[in-house]
Amino acid sequence: MSAAHRRLLEAVLPPAATFVLTTAAAEFGIRAAGISPLLLPTPSAVVRAALQHASTLLPALAMTAQAVVIGLSMSIAVGLLVAIALSTSRWVERAFYPYAIFFQIVPIVAIAPLLVIWFGYGMRAVVAAAFIVSVFPVIANSLAGLLSVDPALRDLFRLYGASRAATLWKLSLPWALPNVLTGLRIAAGLAVIGAIVGEFVGGGGLGVVVLEAMRQQRTDLVFAAVLHAAALGLALFAAVNATSHFALRRWHSQEKDP
Amino acid sequence: MAASESQPAARGLAVSVRGARRVFRSAGEADVVAVDGVDLAIATGAFVAMLGPSGCGKSTLLRMIAGLDGPDAGEIEFGDGGDAPKNALAYVFQDAHLLPWRNVLDNVALPLELQGRAPSERRNAAQRAIEQVGLADAARRHPAQLSGGMRMRVSLARALVTEPRLLLLDEPFAALDEITRQELDDQLRALWATTGMTVLFVTHSIAEAAFLAERAVVLTRRPARVVLEHALDLPAQRDAALRGDARFARETRVLYEALQTS
Amino acid sequence: MRRFDAPKILLALGIVALLAAVACGGEDAATRAASGRVAIALNWKPEPEFGGLYEAQRSDAFTKRGLQVEITGGPGAPVVQMVEAGKVEFGVAAADEVLLARDRGTDIVAVFATYQTNPQGIMVHASRGLRSLPEVFAAGGTLAAEPGVAYLKFFEKHFDLAKMKIVPYGFSIAPFLNDNTMAQQVFVTAEPIAARRQGADPQVFLIAESGFNPYAAVVITTGARARDESRGVADFVAALREGWRGYLDDPTQANAAMGVLNKEMDGETFRLAAEAQKPLIEDAFAKQHGIGAMSLERWTQLGLQLRELGLIDRPAQPDACFVDAGTPAATR
Repeated sequence: MSAAHRRLLEAVLPPAATFVLTTAAAEFGIRAAGISPLLLPTPSAVVRAALQHASTLLPALAMTAQAVVIGLSMSIAVGLLVAIALSTSRWVERAFYPYAIFFQIVPIVAIAPLLVIWFGYGMRAVVAAAFIVSVFPVIANSLAGLLSVDPALRDLFRLYGASRAATLWKLSLPWALPNVLTGLRIAAGLAVIGAIVGEFVGGGGLGVVVLEAMRQQRTDLVFAAVLHAAALGLALFAAVNATSHFALRRWHSQEKDP
Repeated sequence: MAASESQPAARGLAVSVRGARRVFRSAGEADVVAVDGVDLAIATGAFVAMLGPSGCGKSTLLRMIAGLDGPDAGEIEFGDGGDAPKNALAYVFQDAHLLPWRNVLDNVALPLELQGRAPSERRNAAQRAIEQVGLADAARRHPAQLSGGMRMRVSLARALVTEPRLLLLDEPFAALDEITRQELDDQLRALWATTGMTVLFVTHSIAEAAFLAERAVVLTRRPARVVLEHALDLPAQRDAALRGDARFARETRVLYEALQTS
Repeated sequence: MRRFDAPKILLALGIVALLAAVACGGEDAATRAASGRVAIALNWKPEPEFGGLYEAQRSDAFTKRGLQVEITGGPGAPVVQMVEAGKVEFGVAAADEVLLARDRGTDIVAVFATYQTNPQGIMVHASRGLRSLPEVFAAGGTLAAEPGVAYLKFFEKHFDLAKMKIVPYGFSIAPFLNDNTMAQQVFVTAEPIAARRQGADPQVFLIAESGFNPYAAVVITTGARARDESRGVADFVAALREGWRGYLDDPTQANAAMGVLNKEMDGETFRLAAEAQKPLIEDAFAKQHGIGAMSLERWTQLGLQLRELGLIDRPAQPDACFVDAGTPAATR
């Protein structure tokens, strides 16, 4: 077996094995304990529900995914811009950072109805919810990265008379890239949560599937919908990881100081 | 490593430091006087070593000359007077401080890029600088793939790429092993001989100061003041064998004793 | 008046909490049983739809039968799950929930049906001059309805909803008040009254008039309890019926008691709602068979309708899903 194959196997086998064992344990455990399917369905029931209702789940997943991707893109753009603005001076940071924290603290469940009032029912409110919930990690992590730039490199840029823009573009932003990606990793999962909560109020996507399934006492479908949402979050997380691996491979990860 | 014939000799730059003083203030703690009234005159094209115990303020003095830190009192003037001409200075730090996302060539070309030079011009100059420090094969590699010594060479090449008139070095080879250090000392001295630039070299190694410099300035413990300025009585051509010479031992002794009193 | 709530999110959280509680065992049920205490979980806040229950608790209807009743639950409470898990002895749910739960393999039975006529309806602005539900749907606009609710599937099957934009109902009438073209789900004793008091001109079409009329505010318990403790169940139901008689005759005191627990509705609204719901509770059938009585025909019809709508996967067994109020359960 080639080295690449072995590495792939080493990466995939442990989590796959854990998954199989946990699922099997859950299946037999739930049955043995006689837990009602309305309370906690077995994994096999969840899979059955997923297959049976695929024609509902997959379009819903596509809708939620669309809102998440748009909301996340906005978070990256806005989050990065805000972080850059906050990094320009200590005064700016102290004056405005608390307002950024507001996005972290505000409970999305409480403001989702407001979003629907402002943006109407549908995709816009859901995107807004996904954005609000996911923007702060991007701001916080990007800012940390921008503020952690090697002072000696800053001196070097100053020595050669680099403009602020040049320093930002050629030094600070590339320097902060690992931090930005870390923020993105966190933001991706949060964006899914935000979208689903937004859908509870604004309609569409997996959120409504969850509500319908609960009202119709189809707990297995609830779990199936939740699994689809989790898969979406996982796919985004994997995408960020792949980007990180590709973008940072020359850095050899943590090594910042040559 | 041979000097490139097509490269014209860069002229040196004189530096005049008068009464330089730097105080670090921090809230709630006592002020730290890092440099207290230092006078220093460095001739055009000279190679001067600054020696002193750790933490004595020699790095601060170097930074003031580089313009990275303002003196709280005193004047620092260049050439015939006034500020340093644009793009005349270069600085080599204690660690290489390369941009990890750029390869060696792009790292070395950085100063020219910041000065707005055209890409082809940058590439050629960077290539020459890399060859000057003996790293021609490594142009496409990234810092993470280089040894500590190689990284320091890249840092040196980066400092040389703008053909500086005044090269400031802050204990650049301190973190390297003895053999690499001596190699780089040799290369630096040869570069200086070819280009004619002024070199100001901060170190706490007496042997290194003696081997490299024409003149050594010994500074006191903090706050830094000049305790000795000594022209080294050693031949202009210095090779590795010099280190075992009796003359060398004599000169290092002078510096050693000066350091003891500081 | 129903204000915004996030019942389904609470429902999800409730189920999680319930899972945790189930893991800790059913001590509450055991300790309660020993002392003749029973608990009933509501699916909303204390409002006139539970008036008879609060009247029975306020008067001696329960106590003279040796019953101490604890009223619990609220918006978003997973009532069916709570009853099934034994956390409470009784619960209040919608009739279709009984059939849905049974279809998924849970032995839940109905013992009392508060509303003979389902109080759910669709509310529109009267100024639009619409005369029927088909006209409402043909006119288009937004319809706010609880996602997954059974009557919606009924409408989708029997009417043309292509022009309607269906959005989740947030249990707030604010969007309706601000948008003349909006239609929303209502409980006829609640939102229309609130809307009128806020100056709107609501017009309500009962879903019952379209041919979908499940019982509502149905009291449920486990099939096991209905069989093994039929005496206790019969006592509870008899007391409840007595309470409803008292509430229908004079709701004042029970309303006051509920008003303390539910500060979001004022006394006048309580009074108007209690009045509006009378014909839905005591119709000809209830006058003849007693308040809360149920018929096999109605459950059979509901079973067929749910099967037709695809909400249940197997044919319902209507005779097994309810125990006729007041009569001891036969072996089923």
